[in-house]
Amino acid sequence: MDTRDLDVRRHVYFSVVANGRPPTAVETADAFGLEPSKAEASYRRLHDAHALVLFPDRVEVWMANPFCFAPTPHRVTAGGRVWNGTCAWDALGITGALHCDGEVASECACCGESLALRVEDGELVEGGDVLVHFLVPARRWWEDIGFT
Amino acid sequence: MVFLRSEEHLVRWLAANGWEPGASMGAETLNELARVWWWSRLDPGWQPRTAAESQALLDSVGLTGDFWRLG
Repeated sequence: MDTRDLDVRRHVYFSVVANGRPPTAVETADAFGLEPSKAEASYRRLHDAHALVLFPDRVEVWMANPFCFAPTPHRVTAGGRVWNGTCAWDALGITGALHCDGEVASECACCGESLALRVEDGELVEGGDVLVHFLVPARRWWEDIGFT
Repeated sequence: MVFLRSEEHLVRWLAANGWEPGASMGAETLNELARVWWWSRLDPGWQPRTAAESQALLDSVGLTGDFWRLG
């Protein structure tokens, strides 16, 4: 991950906040005056460095953690948008990343019952009775980040 | 990482999927972790954290022990 990759990563994250979605590699190439293949190579290096996550079958951003660009059970209302949180951790992380208040509408992994959590001024003010479970030990989180 | 209504639902969920338990915490602890972990994610000068720096963040909210060792 070199300086250009960090610039590309910053462009991806700023685009996410501005537009609610990540730029395609072609859009990023246009923004930097690069050949699309160079932007795709940068996306792959960022993926390999765990700085973002690409879909398994294409060079397109799946996760710019804590933001996710595929459906999940975790809907987060924060910063004037509704986001998908990759997992429970990322769902609560969106208010942290955006430095704002927010609400998480999620569900119990067992029964599917709706669960509501709310963060104000960094504090969890609703949902304090909700339980969180991590199945995968920390050293194995990146073996299969989709499952983790 | 998932949300669950209760310990009872956790036990039922693990059994239904044939999974061994990992580690649990309350949502307040996860919120503390999420806040410190993701706080700088949008900083213009963001740089990747070292493993030691990430480990220190886990430690800072009391997530210690083998399950929480990053490497």
